[in-house]
Amino acid sequence: MTVMKKVKSLATAAGFAATLMVGGATFASAEDVTLTMAVPDWPPTRIMKKMFDEQYKSKTGNTVKLEVDFIPWPDFYTRVNASLTSGEQKYNFAVSDSQWLGAFIEGGYFRKINDLIDADPELKATMDSMHPSIVAAYSTYPHKTPNYYGFPQFPDVLVNFVRKDVVCSEDEQKGFMEKFNAKLPCTGEELDAMTWDDFENVGKFFQRKKGDKLAGQVLEDDFYGIAYQAGKGYDFSSMQVNGFVWQNGGNIWDETQAPKGQAEGVVNSAESVKGLDQYLRMIQYMPPVARTGTMDIFKSDELFREGKVAMNVNWIGLGEASLDPKSSKVSDKLVFGLAPGTKGADGKMVRWSNIGGQPFVLTTWTTDTQIKEAVDFVKWWLSPEIQHQFAAGGGQSAITAVYEDPKYVGYRPWNRAWSASLEWQKDVWHVPQFYDLLTQQQDQLDLAITGKQDAKTTLDNIAKYQQNLLKEAGLIE
Amino acid sequence: MTTANASTQPLFTISADNWKLAILIGFFASVLAAIALPASVSFWIVGIIAALIAATFVVNAYRRKYYGGLLVAPAIAVLFVMNIFPLLWSLGLSFFAYQSNQQSIRFVGLNNYIKVLTNDITAPDNWDALINTAMFVVFTVSAQMIVGFLLALLFAKQFPLRKYLLILVLTPMMLSVVASGVFFTYYFDPTFGILSYVMGNITGEQFILMDNKVGAVAGIVFADAWMWSPFVMLLVLAGLVSVPKYLYEAAAIDRVGSWRRFWTITFPYIRGLLMLALLFRTIEAFKLADLVILLTKGGNDTMTISYHLIRIANEQNKTSEGAAISYVMLFMVIVLTNLYLYLANRRSQES
Repeated sequence: MTVMKKVKSLATAAGFAATLMVGGATFASAEDVTLTMAVPDWPPTRIMKKMFDEQYKSKTGNTVKLEVDFIPWPDFYTRVNASLTSGEQKYNFAVSDSQWLGAFIEGGYFRKINDLIDADPELKATMDSMHPSIVAAYSTYPHKTPNYYGFPQFPDVLVNFVRKDVVCSEDEQKGFMEKFNAKLPCTGEELDAMTWDDFENVGKFFQRKKGDKLAGQVLEDDFYGIAYQAGKGYDFSSMQVNGFVWQNGGNIWDETQAPKGQAEGVVNSAESVKGLDQYLRMIQYMPPVARTGTMDIFKSDELFREGKVAMNVNWIGLGEASLDPKSSKVSDKLVFGLAPGTKGADGKMVRWSNIGGQPFVLTTWTTDTQIKEAVDFVKWWLSPEIQHQFAAGGGQSAITAVYEDPKYVGYRPWNRAWSASLEWQKDVWHVPQFYDLLTQQQDQLDLAITGKQDAKTTLDNIAKYQQNLLKEAGLIE
Repeated sequence: MTTANASTQPLFTISADNWKLAILIGFFASVLAAIALPASVSFWIVGIIAALIAATFVVNAYRRKYYGGLLVAPAIAVLFVMNIFPLLWSLGLSFFAYQSNQQSIRFVGLNNYIKVLTNDITAPDNWDALINTAMFVVFTVSAQMIVGFLLALLFAKQFPLRKYLLILVLTPMMLSVVASGVFFTYYFDPTFGILSYVMGNITGEQFILMDNKVGAVAGIVFADAWMWSPFVMLLVLAGLVSVPKYLYEAAAIDRVGSWRRFWTITFPYIRGLLMLALLFRTIEAFKLADLVILLTKGGNDTMTISYHLIRIANEQNKTSEGAAISYVMLFMVIVLTNLYLYLANRRSQES
């Protein structure tokens, strides 16, 4: 800790103590309003901060300062959780992962925003202009009820990151056709039509050793066809596994069915097991780090940027680095598609996937002045003009009118996959027990990913644990 | 001494040094405040009352010219505020059902302890983590003791470039655990790491260290030993340097064998420091969590009790369950430390 930081933190502590002494009242002069915000450290929030500093002028005449704590993703939950539960009341604003809503609303930290929306027709119109699956995932608690808590900061979905130079090479196209009697997907439209079975074939096809040929060139290192998240940390396998489970007709414990909905028999249904089996089967074709249970979203992204994989299913939020020649060896060779799907019985594609992205939330100790400024800020942020700028700078927009604008697709190569994906997004449990559910599930999935147990045992264990925990919590009858 | 005078002071005299009255009034005022006022206010009122009672003790001690106590008082005050109070508070919490992200709290007696030790869903994880911790203690500490000891023997001799090599060897200890953890994740990485590269070139097959328990444990133990062997070396080296030269000279004259020379001259000088190193490293190894988080996230059955506790108490917000586990752990550490001190004392008395 530098001296300055020490002084600063002492001052903060003293200020906090003083605040408590006078019974929770905060002083904010009419001229200076500071909004303190906890956000994950990645491009979507960096862009937001930059845009705010350069452009934002408050309508009320106050000088509004946005103080942003950029926290690395792997520690993001732990840090925000510690800040909120310790009662330090540091943040007015937090970018919250959507699943945290239940835990922090029940704790009394996140503020309900129905009154703010009702009092402001403009804000109401903005909220109504968003895609319903985004509002459901980012704003509602209990899930899918009209009780609102969050404004979308950055909406996100899984898309397929693909090396054009590899999949479009004539040699590889020919080889793939010979082996699987199918065309190796190369253009965006062909990628959109991919099923997970096709994805698996790509994995089988590209398993090249050092010295083998890839697209006519001799490899200096091993090369793999496919990758997706399979890490033990945070939610770095559940977010992908859920998609497989849903697409195969299975389900996770459905909070909207509480307290009638069960975990046992649902979580470990035959369809769910089939989905997890399919997910696990592909691990063998991925870079070897997947078998250690540490291939999280950052690792697979790094492998992709280093040119070790042909296709990687990952969040759009991480995409910016792969386009930047400074951080990516493949920046000029990319094409993007929808994340693969599963063909249903009627031949139509089923694309259920877990939504990513984060809402803004307001905390309950934020003062009226701060709330007023915060709402103005949110309205500014969600205004079409700013949303266009954000999207052009590397973000995504949840506002229908913005992402349906023909310009939108041109901003970033993955934007073509955006609006088609939105229909198919679902989210995991927003209940207070979410982190408990998540860590146990991640532990069990890790055992399956590293080959210690099969899909059935894994889901049986998860179902048993969830049934017990949720019964204790009164969420299952 | 004026103690007789002070102790006969009647209970209800209002005076700055009447600590008995202060405790009495303070107790009732605290209870009233706790009942009547919201928790966020009454907490500070009770705190202020406690400080005022402490002040009456100070005045009392001053009037009785009990300066020794006054001099120790600041240290005790800090110890109480920073250490004893939180300890008692968490002990109290372990008898309640309380989660830090929820508002409700209710008394459950020993249920948390019963749950963490016997519940068929949660207890096996605790026991597994505890067994893993014991395994890590044995492996990491013995690796560090052996490597550190051998390094110390090496550096006790004079040779060219010794000074610079010593600095180099001590560097790992000064690095942050996060830095070396990240370093080792790349070192062990099957695609980018040098270990898999070298092993792959030798055996001709793909080598993945961390995909099984043996490999994962070996990786963590290696990283931990890399970081902390220099610490053991430093302590042992201090012992080796302190052995008087004339003892070795006398031994040389008597033509004593090298083994006997080590056992009868060197070892008695370094034994105390070795025991100290052993104690420090055992306590530290019992708390091992950072490297596990960085290298495996507890995967491949490498979960330690500390990391498990972090997840339960800090991430899942199961505060009282976490408190119960902590107290079970504390109990074990106290028993082990006392056993160790007892053995160490007995050994030193024997000699």
